[in-house]
Amino acid sequence: MSQHLNEGQIRAALDGELGPADLRHLETCAECRARQEAMRQEQRQAAHRLALFSRAPLPGGLSPKAALSRFRDRPIPQEESSSMARKALRSPAIRYILPVALLLALILSFPSTRAFADRVLDLFRVEQVTVIPVDFTGLQQLTGEGTVGKQLSELISDSVTMSQKPGAPVEVSDAAHASQLAGFTVRLPRGMAPSRISVVHASAFTFTVNRTKAQALLDEAGRSDLILPASIDGASISVTVPAAVSADYGTCPPPNTDETGFRLNAGGSPGRQYPDCVILAEIPSPTVTAPPGLDVAQLAQIGLEFTGMSSQQAQDFTQTVDWTSTLVIPIPKNAATYEQVKVDGVVGTLIQRPADDAPEYGLLWVKAGTIYAISGLGNNSQQALQMANLLP
Amino acid sequence: MSTDIGSKRNSHAMRFRKSSAAVPADAQPIPLSSSFENLFLEHWTRVYRLVLGLVGDPAEAEDLALETFLKLYQRYPEPPQSFNAGGWLTRVASNLGLHSIRSYKRRERYELAAGTGALADAPENRPAEIHAREEELRLARMSLAQMNPRQAELLILRYSAMSYRDIAAALGLSPSSVGPLLLRAEREFEKRYRFLVEGET
Repeated sequence: MSQHLNEGQIRAALDGELGPADLRHLETCAECRARQEAMRQEQRQAAHRLALFSRAPLPGGLSPKAALSRFRDRPIPQEESSSMARKALRSPAIRYILPVALLLALILSFPSTRAFADRVLDLFRVEQVTVIPVDFTGLQQLTGEGTVGKQLSELISDSVTMSQKPGAPVEVSDAAHASQLAGFTVRLPRGMAPSRISVVHASAFTFTVNRTKAQALLDEAGRSDLILPASIDGASISVTVPAAVSADYGTCPPPNTDETGFRLNAGGSPGRQYPDCVILAEIPSPTVTAPPGLDVAQLAQIGLEFTGMSSQQAQDFTQTVDWTSTLVIPIPKNAATYEQVKVDGVVGTLIQRPADDAPEYGLLWVKAGTIYAISGLGNNSQQALQMANLLP
Repeated sequence: MSTDIGSKRNSHAMRFRKSSAAVPADAQPIPLSSSFENLFLEHWTRVYRLVLGLVGDPAEAEDLALETFLKLYQRYPEPPQSFNAGGWLTRVASNLGLHSIRSYKRRERYELAAGTGALADAPENRPAEIHAREEELRLARMSLAQMNPRQAELLILRYSAMSYRDIAAALGLSPSSVGPLLLRAEREFEKRYRFLVEGET
């Protein structure tokens, strides 16, 4: 390796976290070693101060056995532990989370071009999911009946060309039939009988960016401070969505027949109408190809700022995401909570909206190139985890 | 100003106890699986030490550590063997601790504005070395409390001796992005720390 290490690699070297190839370079490069030493001096103070936390003394704390005894004897009822969150979390419905996530994911999650600048096209596949709380107030005008909503509808209808339509969902009898039809191995929880299994066929479309119209939309929405880069004009982004399968448990609403054809939002149906509905959805990762030169992080930052995030916050977030493989799920700020959980042998994300009227939850994870989502009504998000852990 | 975050917070740090008080006197103990008990005994000291370092108050640290294990119990009453409990607990504990010191920061601002932010301890009554260390910790806590939550969390996880791989898994990052993000977070921390020091001299 002849290229010098970047700052992040040198920082990793201080922690002994450098890969073998980079380590070999460091050992033979006097310049990088000098930079490493300078960085060591620079971060010495911060490291000392932060290490104070891990060196905190233990002034007479509970012993592990005493703590366990206290834990066992004085439990917190589960309802009690979520009541604070309920008070804090009010409005927007989680039923909008997943469809909006898909929409924004397509808008925001185009591939980074930095690593593949010499390739003709960049490729995006979902390998992981991350969640970001956003203020949906700024997005409501996009879906409303006002000028901005109409402009967005026009922009999409002018820019999107469907090359393959999914058609209506097809109901099948069992997992084997679903697998055959969908073209991937469908996994259903052992010992649970679904009330309906549906397959939605694959679809594909191309989105050609019209920067003038997109910028006009931002201007109309009062965000003329957000400037779309000139380089996106005319960019053609192709999206291939594989066939998807959903399995209903309990009494659930019929599958959607809209263009996305995929019923990720069914868990948000009125709680009183479908109180026992839980839906498991499975879909191999969609594939997005886009021309090189499309600066994903920059577009993502604009999208996040549009939702009301500060420029610094948006920048901080976009820099933490690997845009070539991450599906970014926006959730309503102050109205839903999320946490990472171990599920199906991987790390998943559990989203909950513990509203008093119709609490909802959604569990998402990605395994072996397939995206899984379990959504349901009520507070019993454990049910989603239990279902996931019953998958073969 | 040399108030100690931890020493002023006792009256606010009763989540676990308050909630427990709501349990009827004849409530049955939680039936714990042996795998959960083993995890509890194995990780208690580390979790407690982590939150104690963050909040500074032993009573609140106990509450937050218990709350951390409660969350584990609610999520995994019988943790599977493959479960990375150490990483999970570290992340939850650091979030609870950070939330606590941020809440304190808001409260402190309010109290100062109301003219009630008094000095809790007289520094002249403590040995200089201990006072200096407590002062460093106080400023470090305030710096963390002011930082972007994700950056603060990254620092806590790293300085809790988590590997880059585990941090990446916990925060949904690629392992190669941990180094640059960590460096940026340390710089931000140091900037805020120095700003606080300059503001107090």
